[in-house]
This record gives sequence, C-alpha cells and structure tokens, in this order.
Amino acid sequence: MNWSLFFDLTVSGLTLGSVYALIALGYSMVYGILKLLNFAHGDVYMIGAFLGYFALQGLGGPGKANVTAWFAVSLMFLASMLGCGILGVVIERFAYRPLRNAPRIAPLISALGVSFFLQNSALLLFGASFRDYGTFELIGGKTYQVGKNLFFSVPQLLTFVSSIALMVVLTLLVARTRIGKAMRATSFDREAAAMMGIDVDRVISATFFIGSALAGAAGVMFGLVFGQIYHFMGFLAGLKGFTAAVIGGIGSIPGAMLGGFVVGLTESYATGYLPQGSTFQNLYVFSLLIVVMLVRPSGLLGRADIKKV
Amino acid sequence: MKKSILALLVAAFAFAAAGTGGASTQSPKMAASALVKCGKTRSLGLLAPITGPAASLGVEQQRWFNYYISRYNKTHKKTKFKGVYGDTILAGPGGTAEAVKAAASVASNSSVLALVGPAGSNEVIATTPTIKNAGLAFVSGSATRTTLTTDGQRTGYFFRTVPPDSVQGAAVANFIVKRQKYKRVYIIDDQEAYSTGLADFVQAKLKAANVTVGRDGVSQQQSDFSSLIAKIPRNTQLVYLPWQVADKAKAFADQMRSAGRSSIKLMGSDGLFDPAFAAVNGAYDSFFPINAKDKTILAYEKAHSGHGEFFGAPSYVAAQVIGGAVDKACKNGTASRAEVRGLIKKTKIKKSLLGLGVRFNANGDIRGGTFGIYQSNGTEFKPI
Repeated sequence: MNWSLFFDLTVSGLTLGSVYALIALGYSMVYGILKLLNFAHGDVYMIGAFLGYFALQGLGGPGKANVTAWFAVSLMFLASMLGCGILGVVIERFAYRPLRNAPRIAPLISALGVSFFLQNSALLLFGASFRDYGTFELIGGKTYQVGKNLFFSVPQLLTFVSSIALMVVLTLLVARTRIGKAMRATSFDREAAAMMGIDVDRVISATFFIGSALAGAAGVMFGLVFGQIYHFMGFLAGLKGFTAAVIGGIGSIPGAMLGGFVVGLTESYATGYLPQGSTFQNLYVFSLLIVVMLVRPSGLLGRADIKKV
Repeated sequence: MKKSILALLVAAFAFAAAGTGGASTQSPKMAASALVKCGKTRSLGLLAPITGPAASLGVEQQRWFNYYISRYNKTHKKTKFKGVYGDTILAGPGGTAEAVKAAASVASNSSVLALVGPAGSNEVIATTPTIKNAGLAFVSGSATRTTLTTDGQRTGYFFRTVPPDSVQGAAVANFIVKRQKYKRVYIIDDQEAYSTGLADFVQAKLKAANVTVGRDGVSQQQSDFSSLIAKIPRNTQLVYLPWQVADKAKAFADQMRSAGRSSIKLMGSDGLFDPAFAAVNGAYDSFFPINAKDKTILAYEKAHSGHGEFFGAPSYVAAQVIGGAVDKACKNGTASRAEVRGLIKKTKIKKSLLGLGVRFNANGDIRGGTFGIYQSNGTEFKPI
C-alpha cells in the first residue's frame, strides 16, 4: 500500500469535503424549515468567494495588505459571511416569500431563476476572467509534515478546522438558543409555531442568513485552498453540496457534514485509485448518491418521515 | 375523433419539420446566392462562448474581433463594419445546443455575409448543418481538431486561421522526445474536443518513441487538482496540459507547488499562451510564431491595460479574412454569401500578426502553418 498517496488523497478529500459540507449545511437548513431546495445556494457560495476576494483587494491585495495575514483572512471571512447572509435574506424576501403558499414547484423554479440571475450578474459585474486569491503571497506556501507520510498546508488545515468549528457553533445555536428553538419549532410545524407566537418570517430570514453566511465562508475557503474563483464556480459546487446534504440526510446538521466528507473523500479516492478517475469523478460521486438513495432513502443520518394513515 | 387526432399529428409533424429546418426558410442554394445590398455599414458575424464556463476565452476572441472592427472603422471613412454576435456557451450544461441556437440566430440575419468562429471543434461540428444551410463561410480562430478540414463535411465553407492539432502535436512531441529527451511524461486533458484530440495525438507520438506516458483528464469546471497531483508519479519529468483556460493551469501549478512537486516541468498548448500561465516560471508552451513586437499586438495591449490576450489573436486574423472578402464582394454595391465564400478561399495575407502568411489550401487549412516552442521567464513566454 502506498501510504503517502493514501494520506495525500485523504487530506485532499477532507479539505474538499469541508467546503461541500458547509454548502450542504445551507441546503439542509433551508430544506428543514421550508421543504425548499434552494438551487441558488451554489451561486451564493460563488458570490461569497468574490466578496472575500474583493475584501482582500480592499486591504491592498495578497502580499501587499497593510494588515497581518491572519487579520486579512479574518476580515475576508467576515465580509463574505456578512454579505452572503444579507444576500440570502434578500433572496428569501423577494424570490421565495411571495411564493410560500404556491404549489411546491413554483419556488423551485424561482430558485433556478435566482441561480441564473446571480451567475449572470456576477459575469456582468466581475467579468469572465478568473480571479486569483494569491494564497502563496498571502499566507505562504509552507507545507507541514506529521509522521512520515502526512503532509498538509495551512489553508487546508484552516479549512478543515474552521468547518468543524462552524458546525459545532451551528449545532449549539440550534440546540441551545431561543432562535434555534424557534427554528426547530418552525421546522416541525410552521402553522403551530406561528400559533405559539413565533415570528415565522423572522425565523425563516434568520435561517437564510445563517445558511448563506456558511456558504460565504465556504467560498472564501475554496479561494484560499484552490486559488482560482470565477462566475460559474457555484454550479457544480452547488450540485455537490446538494448531493452531500442528501447523502447525509437532508435536514440533519451532522448529516450534512458527514455527507460533505463522504462526497469529498469519494471524489478524492476515485481520482487517485481508479483508472481515469479524475475524468469520471463526478460519475462516482453521483453513483454513490444513487446507491445511498436505494439503500437508505432518508440519507445516512436522516430520519424517515412518519406519516399518519 | 380519430380524424382530429390524425390532423393534430400531421400538424405537429409539420411544425416539428419546420422547426428543425434551421433559421433560414430559404433553400441552401437560395440563401447562399441571395444578393444583399451592402450599404455603408456591413455586418460580420461572431460565434464565441461569451458567457458560460469558457467565457474567459470567448471574451478574448470577442475583444480581438471587435478590435479588428474598430481599427477598420477608424481607417475607412466610406464603409464601416459592425459585429453580430452569437453566444455558444462552450462547456455549459446545454452542450452544443447553445452553439446551434446561436448559429441559427446569426445566420438568420441576412446582412451577415460571413462569420468568425465557433471557438471549439465540437461547436464547429454541431453548427455545420445550420451554417452550411445558410450558405455562410465560417472562419475559426481556435478550432484545431485535425478532421474538421479532412472529413469533407464542410469543405468550401469552413476555414481556420490556426494550424491543426497534427501540426502542433508533432511540434510538441518532437520537443519532448528529441530536444528534452524526457522519458516519463504525464498528460492531462480538459475533456474538450480540442484538448483530447491534441492529447491523443501527442500520447501516440510519445508512446511510439518509447516514452512512459500517464494519462488523465479534468473537467474545465474543476478547480481542485490536489488528488490528481497526488497520483502523478514522483519521478515524472513533465506534465503536459493541452488546456484552454490559462488560469486553471496556473491553479494547477500552484497546487503542484503546494504538494511539493514544483520540480516537475509543466508544458501547455496554444490555449495556455497567456500571461496567467506565463506566471509559472520555467513552464513550456507551444504557440504560433507570434511576433510580440508586432504593432497591432502592441496597440491592442495598450488599449487593453497591457494584456495581450493572445488566445483571441487568431480571431482578429479570422475577422481580417472575412472583412477583406466582404469588402471585395461589396465593391459593386451588392454581395452574396456564396461570393464571399469564394473570395475567402482566395485570401492572401502576406504576414498576419500570428507571424504566418494566410492562404488556405483546398480543405480550408492555413498553408505552411507551424508552431514554435516557448518558455516562461516568470512574466512572459520567450521562444527557445
């Protein structure tokens, strides 16, 4: 067994999985509350990557920032998460809320429309060129070694640790705060929650804010680890995030994280171990989705709906 | 009841048949020979991926195309050109369907007498029936699949201002085998017809010369190459990337560096002859024998914040070819698409900004096309 290859692929898969997991969390939260597949979520992630990029440029650019690298990175996350959170609230307010009582297909079509709107707006505003985060200039290209075969870079570690930290914060927020309790109640029964005095509109807005802020963080992480961002990057990442959410069990926070890591590792191992694996990595990922759906339709950590008959 | 169903079926069939006939309602012969009043302002068509995943390439082609038009319009007082654009959305989720729609839209504009594009070889194949039906000539500045001009499907209609993969592939293989004497090479295509065609050609040549060749592919939408890089054997001497998106290749190089593989040399194709890939110090690239000091190129760079955007330069030459033919055809005040096609066949440009003269052979390929090999010094490519 080539352990060096195995560890390289595992680190790569966990890094990529962290990004998918954060995107999946947004899908899961919105689905949990509204039973809506927010297909614009991948494009919110793309906008997040651009917001992080422009925050860095505002500070002078990579290697030229007039603040320390860590402060610059923190500001990039802050700008991106805040910007995307607000964008999520605006999308919900204008594209989904008016359709809340419409048949379920209507908000789905609206989500696709928002996705194309964001994609083309980014093309119009930011241009078609790829943007380079310049991670080497910003953080440096140092690689760390643990033991004989495990190598990782700072952005990879940062991505993995911060995605775990964000999931823990989100879990605590949902389990132990008033807004979290309101989210759970709204998810369980929206009408009953409203009758109990919960401001359902506010709860839904908060859910969109948090889910979109996580997508913004994922966008910055992606830029830091993989370097290049562009207007079309949200399409495939959004699909993979959605796949991760479904594999993990849509509506479940730990499920979204698990699904993200499963998708990331599948992609990575398939690339490394299977012939022409890189060419067909999407085939393997989406085949896994089909297998999970056949074996466990509610996802790895999802609960099957109990219907009264 | 049966009669009405039958009538509906007949109507639906008739509607479908009308719909598949392309944009032009005329027969191919009529469309080609229909005379158009040229007027003061003439239209040149462009088919390029202006939006979608490959928009960075299409926008370069559009800018060079527009640059030709603006230079022409500045120097010609009596006649002007204007562009008519079709967006082919190369590598988008709709496949080549968008290119066919765009071609139908441009072809249905009767004032368009010839067009530049499409950019990709798959798009050329998909749009051929539509463009041929409309009687139009199409001159691509980037579609290099060898068979486009040898399969006989579009002879007399399709031309290109870049030499085919067979010429570029031979130059690349020759450089790897004879000049560098490399024995272990890894080839990664980007799953587009341009890239796989070139990769297949180079792979076959290298294998014939007993070079150990690894092969893989990545999607143009992919930005994470870390798993693939982990798979490349450490003793590999060169990774060949016949890609079209230079920024992706730069990201690949950065991720190679992160993974401690910066000692492996990288080599790109004409699609990567761009400042973004030139930022990878020591990288090799194959491109036309372009003269970076050519006054048109220098003027373009000046007008575009110092960016040469060389991938789009052959589209300037393509615009020059169709613009010249339209000008000649319009001398008597009217022109037909067939007339313009005939004049394109006879094109004679002594030296284009690609460093080549432009004359087409019977198949529509440029005569005497060659490729040079360049190496980056960290900011730009220099011939070696």
